[in-house]
Amino acid sequence: MNRALAFTSRNIKELLRDPLGYIFCLGFPLIMLVIMTLVDQSIPKEAVTVFHIENLAPGVAVFGQMFVMLFTALNVSTDRSGTFLMRLYATPMTAADLTAGYIIPMFIISVIQAAITFAAAFVISVIIGSALSIGGMLMSMLALIPSALMFIGFGLLFGVLFNEKSAPGLCSIIISLGSFFGGIWFDAQRTGGVMLKICKCTPFYYCTKAARSAMALKFDGNGFVMPILIVVLCAVLMITLGSFSFSKKMRADLG
Amino acid sequence: MLAVKTVGLTKRYKDLTAVDSLDLEVEQGELFSLLGVNGAGKTTTVRMLCCLAKATSGEAYVMGKNCDSDKAAVKPVIGISPQDTAVAPRLTVRENLMFMCRIYGFDKQKCEQRTGELIGALGMQKVADSRAKTLSGGWKRKLSIAMALISEPQVLFLDEPTLGLDVLARRELWRLIESLKGKTTIILTTHYMEEAQQLSDRIAIMIEGRIAAIGTLSEIEQQAGAEGLENAFVAIAERSAQQ
Repeated sequence: MNRALAFTSRNIKELLRDPLGYIFCLGFPLIMLVIMTLVDQSIPKEAVTVFHIENLAPGVAVFGQMFVMLFTALNVSTDRSGTFLMRLYATPMTAADLTAGYIIPMFIISVIQAAITFAAAFVISVIIGSALSIGGMLMSMLALIPSALMFIGFGLLFGVLFNEKSAPGLCSIIISLGSFFGGIWFDAQRTGGVMLKICKCTPFYYCTKAARSAMALKFDGNGFVMPILIVVLCAVLMITLGSFSFSKKMRADLG
Repeated sequence: MLAVKTVGLTKRYKDLTAVDSLDLEVEQGELFSLLGVNGAGKTTTVRMLCCLAKATSGEAYVMGKNCDSDKAAVKPVIGISPQDTAVAPRLTVRENLMFMCRIYGFDKQKCEQRTGELIGALGMQKVADSRAKTLSGGWKRKLSIAMALISEPQVLFLDEPTLGLDVLARRELWRLIESLKGKTTIILTTHYMEEAQQLSDRIAIMIEGRIAAIGTLSEIEQQAGAEGLENAFVAIAERSAQQ
C-alpha cells in the first residue's frame, strides 16, 4: 500500500504542476457554467430548463469528470511511452500498486473538481437570486462518486490501449458524445423518440440523471435509484476492465 | 558468489534471435561492459537480468537468485538506469529520489538521509530543487543513475548511460561511474569503444546476440590480434561475419 501511495503522491504532483490540467479540468467547465447561465438568463424561463442552475451545475460536474478521464488516459499513456514505467517494473512495485497509484489521485482530483464546480454554481445561484440547496449539492457530489470512477476507468483503459497521441483524441470523442448523449447541454428527456433511446443506451445519460435527481433531493426509483445503480455497475466494469488491461499490458511488456 | 551468471540465456522474438545462448559470469565489485553495435542484444540481456523480459530458454541469476522464478528476491538487489532518462519530469531532483526511496519502503528519516547522501555524492546540490524536465541531458542522466542507486543495489545496470551526451557531460558521467567502481557491481552497455576501454574491468563484445569475445582489454586485443579496442572490435566483427 505504501508503494501505491508513493506513486499516488507522484501522480498528484505531476498533475497539479501541469497548467493544462487547470485549464481543462477546472477552467473550461467553469466557463461553461457561466456561459450557460448567461444563456439561461437571456431566454424565457420555460424554454430550456436544462440551463437552470440547479440542472446545469450537476451536468457541468459530469462534464468536468470527462476531462479527468482525458487526463487519466494522458497520464498512463505518457508514462507507457517512455521508460519511466520500465524503471518501476524493475522495482518491487506490482501492477496493483501502479493501478491504484493512477486511480487514487484522479479520484481525489475529481472530488475537488466537483466541490469547486458546486461552490462556483452556488455563488452564481446567489447572484441570480435562486440559491442552490446545500444539501442538494452535497447529495449530488456523493452521487457523482460512481461516475468519477467510471470515467477514470475509461481513462485507464484508453491509456493502456492507445499511445499518448491517440488516447487524448479518442477521449475528445467520448467527451463530445458523452456531453451530448448525457443530456448535459439539452434536455434528453424532452426530445423523446429515437434520440432518447440512444441516450438511454449510454451510461452518460444515467450519470447526469442521477446527479440532477440528487441535486433536487428526489430519490425515487426511476429518477435516482435505477440510474445510480447503472452508473455503479458501469464504474465497477470500467475500473475492472482498466485494471485488468493494465495488468495484462504489464505482463506483455515483461514477456 | 557471482554477482551475475547466465547459462545458455536465449531470447527470441518470432523469427529474430536477440540473445543467443549467452554464458556469462560477472564477479562481485566488477565493472563489466557489454559492447556492441545497435541491435547486438545488449539491452535485451540487461532486460532479462532485471526481470523486465522473460528468457525463451536458459537461466539468469543475479546474486544467486533466479531472474525468472525468484523475481521478488532479485528486484530489491538491483538498480537500473534505462537507456532513456526515466525520470518523473515535473518532480524535482529531490522529489524523484524521495519517490524512489518510498517505493523501496524506506521510512521518512531514511528517505531524507539517502536522498541527501546521493545529492551530495553526485554533486547535485545546485539542481536539487529544479524540476527534472528543466535539467540538461547530463543532469538527467545523473539523476537517472542516482535513482538507480537509491536502494543501495548490489548490482547496478547502466544501459547506454552516455548516449547522446556531449563530450563534457560524458566525461563527467565517466568520473561518476568510476567513483562507483568497487562499491557495487556494474553492468554497463555501450557502443562507444572509448567508454568501454576507459571504464571496464572486463568487456564482452556482443555480435548478433552472441558473445564474440570476452576478457580484459589486453585479452581481447590478443584474441583479435589487433591493438586498441576499436581495431580489436572491427577484427572480431569481421571474423564473425565470415563465419
